[in-house]
Amino acid sequence: MDITALSVSQIVSKIKTKELKAKDVVLTYLTNIDRLDSEIKAYLNVFHDYALKRAEEIDNNPNKKGLLLGVPVAVKDNISVKDFELTAGSKILKGYIAPFDATVIEKIKEEGAIIIGKTNLDEFAMGSSTENSAFFKTKNPVNTEYVPGGSSGGSAAAVKANETLIALGSDTGGSVRQPASFCGVVGLKPTYGRVSRYGLVAFGSSLDVIGPIGKSVEDVAITLSVISGFDLRDSTTAKVPVLNFETYLTGDIKGKKVGLIKEIQNFKIQPEVEEAFRKSLEIFEKNGAEIVEISMPHLKYALSVYYIVAPSEASANLARYDGVRYGFEGNADNLRDFYEDTRTKGFGSEVKRRILIGTFALSEGYYDQYYLKASKVRRIIFEEFKRAFEICDVILTPTSPTTAFRFGEKATPLEMYLSDVFTIPVNLAYLPAISVPFGVDSKGLPIGIQMIGKWFKEEELLNTAYVLQEEAKHV
Amino acid sequence: MKIELERIEKLAALKLDENERGSMLKDLEDIINYFENLKEVETDSIEPMVYGEKIELVLRDDIVEDSLHLTDLKRLRELFGDGFFRVRRIIGE
Repeated sequence: MDITALSVSQIVSKIKTKELKAKDVVLTYLTNIDRLDSEIKAYLNVFHDYALKRAEEIDNNPNKKGLLLGVPVAVKDNISVKDFELTAGSKILKGYIAPFDATVIEKIKEEGAIIIGKTNLDEFAMGSSTENSAFFKTKNPVNTEYVPGGSSGGSAAAVKANETLIALGSDTGGSVRQPASFCGVVGLKPTYGRVSRYGLVAFGSSLDVIGPIGKSVEDVAITLSVISGFDLRDSTTAKVPVLNFETYLTGDIKGKKVGLIKEIQNFKIQPEVEEAFRKSLEIFEKNGAEIVEISMPHLKYALSVYYIVAPSEASANLARYDGVRYGFEGNADNLRDFYEDTRTKGFGSEVKRRILIGTFALSEGYYDQYYLKASKVRRIIFEEFKRAFEICDVILTPTSPTTAFRFGEKATPLEMYLSDVFTIPVNLAYLPAISVPFGVDSKGLPIGIQMIGKWFKEEELLNTAYVLQEEAKHV
Repeated sequence: MKIELERIEKLAALKLDENERGSMLKDLEDIINYFENLKEVETDSIEPMVYGEKIELVLRDDIVEDSLHLTDLKRLRELFGDGFFRVRRIIGE
């Protein structure tokens, strides 16, 4: 039996019927890590002993239940797992051992998941290629000369390389969807407020969401059901019912309205990505959906809004890294110099760049012109989505304007930021969205299609994604 | 747009060296110039957006619950003792 070919629900049911041992599942994935990860470098830390011990506990326990029973899950290293080091891809957290579990970690543990390790990321999730990790670069398993995307590049690469079955990532401006697209796997950004952020290292608090990455829409749907829900420890979580999302994957989208943004033609898109995008629209039509044109003239301002709002929030959130309570300690006698030394030596250049942009945008004399202005344009973009969703059920875009790029190819920060031009508006508007692989370009690099759903309508979004996934098998 | 980088560094508790400062200044100016397109958007009557519409902030009941343990925090810093973090001198000698 090829264990890596089994889905989440197959693994769970086989472990329940004792047809399969959790230990064999974990060993299969650990063997793949041992074999491949010296090249791919998806993991910052592999929990060999812990994962095997958990698997044995599951195998020895006669009471076999849990939606993720025996399922290996890799966790982006900006999510707290109690008693394990948490780096957020940064040197400034050196030696920090998380003293508590994030809510999502508590939830997956309760459902029997086995955490297999922590995955690499751009430092503090700031980046689109995982090149900004303070430790090493992760490679794209499809072609190791290319980046895996980012910032959840380790999570997406681990899933693609069969080094885990499921991974958790975080998405502030596309950090789950863009690497999923680059690596040819499925990545979901839930609605803001659907999943608790307690225990996630804060970057942009009005934008951050934890989301699952998997090989199929079904696996991602099951994981979403597990990690969702109101949490007293995150006052921005919403009191909306948690569904068994996988039961909504019927493949029936007759009469649904798929929105095509008119202004998308003004963006520079790689021709092969454009072609795949057109083809995906045809597939929805063929399945009985109707394509409706929508207009979002302010979409072109989303990148500016994001690169003011996210760094502003980051500059406040990252003020806590001062060397006093945990992590790396600088060297100076005077407290003020100690703060500066800790932060200057502890943060990498992209993190410093964003802290400085945010500090500038919030500073006296510039607040109105930048932060306030951006927050107002954010509302205009939000209202455009709201109007669009009055006439359509889901909106389609490419996930990224291009397929994966080579290491070092994006020479300036601005060039790098442009790879998130279609994912960023979704975070600004608190919406759910998913990236599903749909064909490859002439170099064999995966293309991802993004579907954006209505607020808290992940079940409809996932069903739409399921249709595209099934059709992609025949393309 | 001209940025007084040293002032911003001070506000952010960062201190770049001279080599880093040159390229950082150029990057920041390029990025901030990119934001100029926002000036085209008329926003006089628009309310800024900070939270999503459906989010209602919830307060927890004022009940003491089990939380982080001091022993776990002690592990993070040798200098953590008696419930306080010890820091460097703030007031001059």
